[in-house]
Amino acid sequence: MDSLNLFLLIGTGLMFTGLLLGSLSARFGVPSLLIFLVVGMLAGEDGIGGIDFDDFSTAYVIGNIALAVILLDGGLRTRLSTFKLGLRPALSLATLGVAISAGLVGAFATWLMGVDWRVGLLLGGIVGSTDAAAVFSVIKGAGVKLNERVASTLEIESGLNDPMAIFITLMLVGMLVDPDASWGASMLLTLVKQFGLGAVMGLLLGIVISELLLRVRSNEGLHALLLCSGGAMVFALTNLAGGSGFLAIYLTGLVAGNRRGGTGDNVLKSMDSMAWLAQSGMFLILGLLVTPSRLTENLPWALAVAAFLMLFARPVAVWISLLPFRFKAREEIFIAWTGLRGAVPIVLAVFPLLAGVEQTYLLFDITLVVVLISLIGQGTSLRFMARRMKVSIPPSTEPRQTVALATPRDRYLLQFEVEAGAKAVGKPLTELSEQDRTPLMLYRQHQVLSPTENPVIEAGDLISWLAPLAHKPALSDLCHYMSQDEKRYYGDFVVLGKTPVAQLVAVYGVDAPPPLWQGLTVAELFTKHVGKQAVVGDTVRVSGLRLRARSVEDGLVVMAGLKLPG
Amino acid sequence: MRVREILTEARTHSGVQASSKKQLLDQVAQLAAASCEALNEQEVFDALVAREKLGSTGIGEGIAIPHCRLGHCQQPVGLLLKLDTPIDFDAVDGRPVDLVFVLLVPQENPEQHLKTLSHLASLFNDDDYRNDLRHSQDTHKLFQTAVESEAELRLAS
Repeated sequence: MDSLNLFLLIGTGLMFTGLLLGSLSARFGVPSLLIFLVVGMLAGEDGIGGIDFDDFSTAYVIGNIALAVILLDGGLRTRLSTFKLGLRPALSLATLGVAISAGLVGAFATWLMGVDWRVGLLLGGIVGSTDAAAVFSVIKGAGVKLNERVASTLEIESGLNDPMAIFITLMLVGMLVDPDASWGASMLLTLVKQFGLGAVMGLLLGIVISELLLRVRSNEGLHALLLCSGGAMVFALTNLAGGSGFLAIYLTGLVAGNRRGGTGDNVLKSMDSMAWLAQSGMFLILGLLVTPSRLTENLPWALAVAAFLMLFARPVAVWISLLPFRFKAREEIFIAWTGLRGAVPIVLAVFPLLAGVEQTYLLFDITLVVVLISLIGQGTSLRFMARRMKVSIPPSTEPRQTVALATPRDRYLLQFEVEAGAKAVGKPLTELSEQDRTPLMLYRQHQVLSPTENPVIEAGDLISWLAPLAHKPALSDLCHYMSQDEKRYYGDFVVLGKTPVAQLVAVYGVDAPPPLWQGLTVAELFTKHVGKQAVVGDTVRVSGLRLRARSVEDGLVVMAGLKLPG
Repeated sequence: MRVREILTEARTHSGVQASSKKQLLDQVAQLAAASCEALNEQEVFDALVAREKLGSTGIGEGIAIPHCRLGHCQQPVGLLLKLDTPIDFDAVDGRPVDLVFVLLVPQENPEQHLKTLSHLASLFNDDDYRNDLRHSQDTHKLFQTAVESEAELRLAS
C-alpha cells in the first residue's frame, strides 16, 4: 500500500511542480513545454530525483494518447473561416514541405555522421514535422497577435504534417528492419491510404460524433470527456483501418468545433485542461525517459543537425512549398522560423527503438537536442521575430465569454467589457442593437440592467449580446479603445474599402497610379495585391500613400487605415 | 508647415453651433470663402464632402481634420473651429466631435501638403494639446493656444 502511495506522491508531485512552473512560463517567454521537459529531466536518473525510468513502450503509449488529445483540441479551436484561409498553403507545407526538409536533413545527416542513408533519412523524417502543441502554446503564450494568414497557416500546418512525418518514419523503420521489403507502388499506396482514410474517416466520424453530442445535451465537463473519448475512438479505429489516426482526430476536432455553431466556451475550457494534462504528462514522461548525461556524446552532431534544420532545411522547404501562394518574404521568414519541433519528433524517435533498429539511441539523442534547441531558440524569440517581421497586429478586445446556444442555430451569447474611451461609451444600450444583434443585459457594480431601463453605457460595464459569431469583430470594435500605438500602426485617417482608387489618388496622390489600377476600389486593390483573402494588417502602397487593412469581412477590406508620408 | 503658417486669428472661431456634419461643412465653406478671396464657397463645400465620402476625417478623441485639394487655392489655408456642442461626425471611435481643423491646400506640391496634414494629425493626437484648446475660452485665446502650444510640443513638422 505504501509503495502505491509513494508512487502516487512522486507522480503527482512532478505533475504539480511542472504545472505550477509551466503556468509561470509565459512571464519569462519560455514555452511551458520546455519546463515540463526540464522538470522531467531533473527528476530523472541524472537529476536530483534520480528516478530510473527507461520504459520506452509506456512512454510511447502515453505519447500517442497525449498527441491525439492535443490534436483534437487544436482542431476544436480552429474556426472554419480560418481553416479556409490557411488550408492550401498549410497542406503544401505539410506534404511537400515535410518531404523537402526530411530529404535535406537526411542528406546532411548521412554526410555528417557517415551512417546508412536510410538512417539519415529516418532522422530527417523524425524531426520533419512541426508540433501542434508547441506551435499553439507558444503562439498563445508569446502574447502577440499574429496576422491571420500566418497564424492559420502555422496552426493548420502543425495539425496536418504529423501524418506525413509518421509515414516517412514508419516507412524507413520498415525498410531498416526488413531490407527485402518491396517498395515503390505499395509504398505510395500506403501514403494514399494514410491520408485518404485519415481524412475520410476523420470527417465522417467527426460528423457522427458531433451530431450525437448535440442531441445528448450533457454538461460541459462531461461533454469534453465525451469528445475526448469519442475522438480517441476515431483515432484508434482509423489506425486499425490503416489510415492516419492523427489526421483523423484533428479533423474530428475541426468538425465538432464548427458544426452547427460549434462548441461553446465552457466546453473549450474543459478541453483546455485535457490538453494541458496531455501535454504536461507527455513531456514529463519524455523528460524522465531522457538520459541527459548521454546527450553530450553526440552533442556536436546534434547541434549541427539542429542548426542545419533551423537555418537551411526549414527555410528552403517553406520557400518552395509556398511558391504558388502569395506570401510576403517577411511572412515566409517568420513561418520558417516558427517551425517549432516538439513532442511528435520525440515520440517518433521511440518508434525505431521499439522496432529494434540499430543506432537508434543516436537518433533519439539527436532528436531530443534538436527539439530542445528549437524550443529554446525559436520559442523564446517568437515575440521578437513577430515584431521584426511585422506579422503581429495590435490585439483586439476579446469577449469575456462566448456561449453557444443549441437552438437557434448560430446564435451566441457574447459578453464584452467596455474599455474606457471605447466607441460604445456614452451611448444608450438599445442603440447598440442591429439586425441579428440584440443587447440583452448590462452588468454594472453588482447590478443587472436590462434594455428596458436603457442605461447609458459607461467604461467598465459588461454587456451581453445575442448575435451570430460573425458579429464578434464588430462588437469587439464597439468595446475597444484605440491606443496611440494602434493609431500609429494603422495611420491617422481611414478610407472605406468601397472607395475607388482614382478618387483616393485625386485627393492625395503624389504620382499617378499604374493604368492597371483603373476602375478598382480600394478593397479590390487589396485583393489584387495579397490574393483572394485579405487579412487585417495587410498593406498596400498607392502613389506615396500606405494603406493598411483595418477591418475585413469575408476576405474583403471594409476599412483601411491611411498613413501619410512624413 | 506649422499651424502658425496656415492659421490666422480671423480664421479661428470658437463657440460655433452646428446641427450636423453636413451643416458644419457648409459653415466651414462659408467661413473659408469669406476669409480668403481666392476660394469659392461651393467648390470648398463639394471638395470637403467628396473627401468625407472616402471615409470620415474624424480621427478620434473628438477631433476632425477635414481636408481637400483645390485648384484655385494659392497657398495652404487652415481654419480652426471649436463647437459649443459636439456633433456626430462618423469618427473612427464613434465619439462626437467638438474640435475641427480644416486644411485646404493647392494642387501643387502634394508631398509637402501630406506632411502638413500628417503633422496636424499627430499634433491633435496629443492629449495636452487638445486639453489646452478645449480650455481656451474665447477666439483670441484659442488662436494663441493653437499657435503657442504647438511650439512647446517638439513634434517634427
